[in-house]
Amino acid sequence: MNIDVLTTDSRFKAINDSAPDAVISGIFACDMLSHVMGHAAEGNVLVTVLSNINVLGVASLLDLPAIVYPHKIVPNETVIAKANELGIALFSTSLTTAETVILLHELGV
Amino acid sequence: MDPYIREHNIERNDIANAGTVASLTKRALKQRGLSREFIKQVTIGVYEAEINVVIHSYGGTANVAIDDDFVEITFQDKGPGIENIEQALQAGYSTASSYAIENGFGAGMGLPNIQAVSDEMDLQSSENGTYLRIKFNIKEDSYEH
Ligand SMILES: Nc1ncnc2c1ncn2[C@@H]1O[C@H](COP(=O)(O)OP(=O)(O)OP(=O)(O)O)[C@@H](O)[C@H]1O
Ligand SMILES: [Mg+2]
Repeated sequence: MNIDVLTTDSRFKAINDSAPDAVISGIFACDMLSHVMGHAAEGNVLVTVLSNINVLGVASLLDLPAIVYPHKIVPNETVIAKANELGIALFSTSLTTAETVILLHELGV
Repeated sequence: MDPYIREHNIERNDIANAGTVASLTKRALKQRGLSREFIKQVTIGVYEAEINVVIHSYGGTANVAIDDDFVEITFQDKGPGIENIEQALQAGYSTASSYAIENGFGAGMGLPNIQAVSDEMDLQSSENGTYLRIKFNIKEDSYEH
């Protein structure tokens, strides 16, 4: 599925535009990086409240094309610049983690 | 193919650059035509070990060796060491600092992850430092078909 499903849904606010053709499949929601590292699969959209730079490192190592931050969290400029460099799409939403996961599921991710 | 040998320094608390060893190793494995699944296992192991040196030690080094039939990475840091290795290997055990926890670490899953993905793991520690060697065997089915 194309990242469009997120980009075109008003409940997700695109923070950058660095991976317009990204292909996403599946959802992984977690705030502990070792759990993400051990269990997330390539293509997964990562839902996390962690807005620091390590999350991008993990996403890049696992080939996770997109990160959604719930609770209106927006990472700082350094993190956004790093995401642009790595080609990772970032989104923010006012939903909670659980609501975000449910919505992504309803959208077929 | 020629063996790939690299030595990397890992700085204490340098969270912004943590993951560099894993990232460079991943790239080298890709260039050798290894499968995504094989690369993922190595990447997980190297990342977790690298992060542990960053967040739990005074800094150290990683030596990466890739040959035709194995990948071996050895980490050596300058202390303070692991008091009880058996306990450290237990899933969920962590002494991570609040700084590490704020950055998403401290689930106590790093060493168990390394154990799960690697073919060999050798962990030794004293107050002078921790030594960790992890090895992955390259087999025929480790390559992309
Ligand atoms: N290089 C090291 N130097 C000193 N102590 C270490 C080192 N590596 C691991 N440890 C000790 O072993 C514990 C368990 O490590 P492990 O990687 O499993 O979990 P963690 O790093 O605490 O959390 P996580 O890896 O899930 O983010 C650590 O909390 C720490 O006490
Ligand atoms: Mg760890």
